[in-house]
Amino acid sequence: MSEHTTTGMVTVTIDDVTASVPKGTLVIEAARQLGVMIPHFCYHPKLAPDANCRMCLVEIEKMPRLQTSCSTQVTEGMVVRSSVPTVKQARKSVLDFILANHPLDCPVCDQGGRCDLQDFSHEYTASGTKFVELKRVFQKEYFSPVIETQMNRCVQCLRCVRYCDEVMDVRALAPAGRGTLTKIKSFGVHELDCEFCGGCVQICPVGAITSRLSMYEFRPWMLKRTESTCGYCGDGCQMTFQAKDNDLIEVNSTLGVGRNNGDLCSRGYFGYHANVHEDRLQSPMIRCDGELVEVPWEEALAVVAEKLTAIKSANGADAIGGLIASRCTNEDLYLFQKFMRVVIGTNQLDSSARYGHMNGIHALQRVQGTHRWSMSFDDLLSANAILTVGTNLTETNPITALKVKEAVKRRGAELITVEALEPAIGTISNIALLSTHHLPLAPDQFASGTIGLLKAVIQENLVDAELVAHAKDYIDAIKKQVDAISWTDIEARTGLTAEIFQDSAKVFTRAERAVILVGQGVLRSQGGYGMTLNLMDLLVLTGKLNRIGCGLAPLAEENNDQGSVEMGAVSELLPGGKDCRSREAQQSLEAAWGCSLPSGEEGTLMDMLGKAKRGILKAMIIVGENPIGSLPPDSGIEDAIGKLEFLVCQELFLTDTAKRADVIFPACSYAEKDGTFTSTEGHTQAVRKAIEPLGESRPDWEILSALSVMMDHPLEYESVKAIGKEMRDLMPGTRTLGPSPLPPRPCLDTLTQYLQEGYQDTLATRYCLPGMKATHTFVLNVGQSIFHSGKFSTRAKGLIQIQSQGVLSMHPEDAERLGLACGDGVCLENQLGQVKTTVKLSDRIPCGVLFFPEHFDQDIQRLFAVSVDNDTHVPYFKCAHVEVSKAS
Amino acid sequence: MAKYEKILLKNMEQPGYTGSLKEYEQTGGYQAFRKVCEGMAPSDIIETVKLSGLRGRGGAGFPTGVKWSFIPKDHPGPKYLCCNADESEPGTFKDRQLMERDPHQVLEGMAITCYTIGAETAYIYIRGEFWLGAKVLDQAIAEAKKAGYLGSNVLGTGKTINIFVHRGAGAYICGEETALLESLEGKRGKPRFKPPFPATHGLYQKPTVVNNVETLANIPHILNKGAAWFAAIGAPPKGTGTRIFCLSGHIKRPGNYEVPMGVTFREMIYEIGGGMRSDKPLKAFIPGGASAPFLTPEHLDVKMDFESLAMAGSMLGSGGITVMEEGTSMVWAALRLMEFFYHESCGKCTPCREGSSWLVQTLQRISRREGRMSDLDLLLDLCKSIEGRTVCAFGEAEVSPIVSTMRHWRSEYEELIREAEAAHPVKQEIPVLSQI
Repeated sequence: MSEHTTTGMVTVTIDDVTASVPKGTLVIEAARQLGVMIPHFCYHPKLAPDANCRMCLVEIEKMPRLQTSCSTQVTEGMVVRSSVPTVKQARKSVLDFILANHPLDCPVCDQGGRCDLQDFSHEYTASGTKFVELKRVFQKEYFSPVIETQMNRCVQCLRCVRYCDEVMDVRALAPAGRGTLTKIKSFGVHELDCEFCGGCVQICPVGAITSRLSMYEFRPWMLKRTESTCGYCGDGCQMTFQAKDNDLIEVNSTLGVGRNNGDLCSRGYFGYHANVHEDRLQSPMIRCDGELVEVPWEEALAVVAEKLTAIKSANGADAIGGLIASRCTNEDLYLFQKFMRVVIGTNQLDSSARYGHMNGIHALQRVQGTHRWSMSFDDLLSANAILTVGTNLTETNPITALKVKEAVKRRGAELITVEALEPAIGTISNIALLSTHHLPLAPDQFASGTIGLLKAVIQENLVDAELVAHAKDYIDAIKKQVDAISWTDIEARTGLTAEIFQDSAKVFTRAERAVILVGQGVLRSQGGYGMTLNLMDLLVLTGKLNRIGCGLAPLAEENNDQGSVEMGAVSELLPGGKDCRSREAQQSLEAAWGCSLPSGEEGTLMDMLGKAKRGILKAMIIVGENPIGSLPPDSGIEDAIGKLEFLVCQELFLTDTAKRADVIFPACSYAEKDGTFTSTEGHTQAVRKAIEPLGESRPDWEILSALSVMMDHPLEYESVKAIGKEMRDLMPGTRTLGPSPLPPRPCLDTLTQYLQEGYQDTLATRYCLPGMKATHTFVLNVGQSIFHSGKFSTRAKGLIQIQSQGVLSMHPEDAERLGLACGDGVCLENQLGQVKTTVKLSDRIPCGVLFFPEHFDQDIQRLFAVSVDNDTHVPYFKCAHVEVSKAS
Repeated sequence: MAKYEKILLKNMEQPGYTGSLKEYEQTGGYQAFRKVCEGMAPSDIIETVKLSGLRGRGGAGFPTGVKWSFIPKDHPGPKYLCCNADESEPGTFKDRQLMERDPHQVLEGMAITCYTIGAETAYIYIRGEFWLGAKVLDQAIAEAKKAGYLGSNVLGTGKTINIFVHRGAGAYICGEETALLESLEGKRGKPRFKPPFPATHGLYQKPTVVNNVETLANIPHILNKGAAWFAAIGAPPKGTGTRIFCLSGHIKRPGNYEVPMGVTFREMIYEIGGGMRSDKPLKAFIPGGASAPFLTPEHLDVKMDFESLAMAGSMLGSGGITVMEEGTSMVWAALRLMEFFYHESCGKCTPCREGSSWLVQTLQRISRREGRMSDLDLLLDLCKSIEGRTVCAFGEAEVSPIVSTMRHWRSEYEELIREAEAAHPVKQEIPVLSQI
């Protein structure tokens, strides 16, 4: 209801100012545009009007009694008065009413100093209240580990309840009781159990709902604000760090700022403490007699420079490899790859984008010749149909999920969800509940689901007529492939009949604007590259690839996966996403850098580990990445790292990998440095220093720069801005802060090439159904929890209070069959080993599937085999087939 | 008593009448519905109801035909009829009798209304405490379904009409039409702000008519006997038809009485009701349920129709007349009602939520003889700040006992306060800065 129809303008006069505003604008919004601030509590631009606080009453000519400006739309010639005595008296009386029961405990209220009630009271009720009766007092009740409620302060505007319902689609909160005895409560007799997005805290106009993480720690005017970008997922939310005494006190977000437009998720809102955790490494360390000892920077740098130079001269530059985390800033990533390519002189380098994002990038490059989405976040909102495949969107990319929720709930988009999810109502939102077509699948069968959709497109003659005229061979080739696959085989793997695929395919094809979101379930799973290419085929076949508002969007799990790609921090790509084998790209880069590029072969993560195992790779520089923590033992990671002659880590914490290092450089977190992150849609946004670096920690780029100087190949920059300038000169369009750039259009030459022959070589492997698990086994899937991101977030005290350990989720029907109850010990077993863990029941996951959050227990990793993609070299290790038994 | 012809209570006053379908049919029941189903155009039905001058019997008195005409005719998708049987207004008990004793009369009215507005589904939102009414209605619905008056293909017209009984959970506010719809949807019973009105955005945001039980019960009779017949009864042109009044309080013969609109209160209380219980003089009466302002013996000759009562400063409301004899404390009476309104304020909007608690506490204090003269102006100030500033009409209702008793019997308040001031003399007030 809050969308404004822009068909036509109307003239409105508010407090003697006349202006034209779009028809349908609410009076309160029109007033704001005219510079008239109408006080309010319950109104919020994100929410449908509720008109309950009665604070925004105004006088409107030709209307009886005062009207609520938050629920009245302007009409032609409307005359509104907001500062006449009757209106002022009404506001004063509403405040009198609110203050009657409000405790006036401002001195101990965390909202004090930024409270709407304080501000309006100051403006309208200069004298005291006439209320002499007893104030209503609620007993203090424990609400949740991270959210505090003080219901005596509540003004019953219900913004929190409405936000939780309308925006988040969670419905964890409700008013309970009647009249003045109404309280905001969570459902059930237990403490609050929800997504913990913090939205209720942020949207509360008073101090009724506050964060326990910063309780009593500050007064708002003591806080130093720093606008920055969230460092958890690829959504790239804009947020504000609030710091005091070089400590992070809280995080806020602002309506109208960034793609998140004031929304955050639990990681963004309650996860900031990971940056300032007490275990942060604060000085450089080198290994002496097997022990890590603290040394001055000069000494640590000298040891590394000397050792790397020695290895390089003895074994060649390709004996040294580099690995960087996609959590680093673009400047760090850029300098890292330049360091590896120029100072070391090798192409043996990779980033954590390799874990999955590269599959999406390669598919985009192959079919449409871009290394970014050819659509934007806004296209999600205006889509007529959205297809999500293996995204588990609400948990992995919560803000992207909000856009999908808005598209469906407010704009009537049709949603097709191909997910390892059941549409169960639960404590967190469930995208399957919003979908018009839901295709629940086991996480190892997304390929079958994708092929089912393609088969339906071909079979139902939904192929774009123009394509039929131009690319008959391509269509025939795909037709041949899907014809060879029977519906029976698809049904055996998916449990879904041809009908739902046909219906979904029709909905998708019919949509004027159709968007495909591809998540970790595809990108990080066996055959992820092939599946993504197949989904690109779906766009091509339905004639949507080159249509405005349509596109395929691989969703990045880490905040700067996209930046890693664009900065060239992966072996096969040079800065700007250029092919490192392209002579043209090499020459232009050599000209810019004034040196020659390495001629050795590329080495991705898995290549490097293989070479390390064989003793060919002697040394590694690992920046912020923890491969021992990420990869399962089956990868031989321990062996590979153990065989290295020399390991340097730049780290925040003493991770499993850093523990093996010969030298550790203490890096600082993104809250302590300037730079940029590139969001999953390709928007480069500023990261700003909120606090000074802890201890002696330094930004990663500074460390690499210092090392380059020590290695007689100086890459010196005055500041992070100087790197930014070099990047911008090299890659036009990078680091342009401000509004996001227009998404690139698909390159038609690349598409033509793909339709002629590009599709051929992988066709047979990707149009092929995955194997089926034995009936008595389960598909065990490790993936992301809504409350965590990688291992980093497990250092955030707020998030740990919400979720402190991993337990295995199982569908209640499976549990019943196995005689398991919530909290029982279970034993998981396959050919790789046996692991014990605890089970919890969840009707959110399909029968026959087990889910374990990837952030915790390393032990479970033993059950996973690693396979490497032939084309993209992405290691797959997220799914395993296991037998389950009750632990004795 | 035979002075006035009864319409709605006529059947049930026959000895031995049980309200079964058979008996109802014998008295001419479902003839109107048959007539309608024989092919009457909905627009003709609406026109007839409009011409009859029938106005809503729930309290607000909105013309029924006009309300029906607001339903968009070409709306794709479902439309709904909701029968408001929440009857939560204190002193009102007419709908209960209509539902318990002659359920088919209500069902026939509903069936005709569904036919007219094009609704396939209708709900009876019945007050939770009316368990008998709910049971009787359920049985009657089953009977009517069996006889082909309800269900699919009603009377061979191909139309579907299903009626469901939904029991409320005990909130006064759920008698307010939008709160009723919220509650019916399974949400918290809280009023919606209007516009949009239920006619376009009602139950599940679909076009919906909400009518009171008594209103719907009138429909078959209007269609049977014609608009002109109905329009001639009572106090035309604005108060047509009969009205069931619920007499209670200090009266000899409390109960439901159906009389034409426009009868005077004097006749109602002294002739029909048999006069005051203890033969003490009448002191005050509430003419239309607890939300209607109190009236005094001076108003005995006011006619019981919408316009006359509005001119007398009160309202016809739900038809609940509560009579109070000489010796009743008006502060107590106002407090008693105020306690009710405080308990029932849903809490959605600020003035009503906070105001009701403030008013009740102040009244309790005055009544405990702890009041101060300044409290009286404060009470009126508060009432003024509530009235017209709330989401629904509850705001007007809750202030009416205080405003009207203060208008007519302010001295009783002052008396209690004088006693309080004598017992606890006012101390020197600390001067406020601005007054020095």
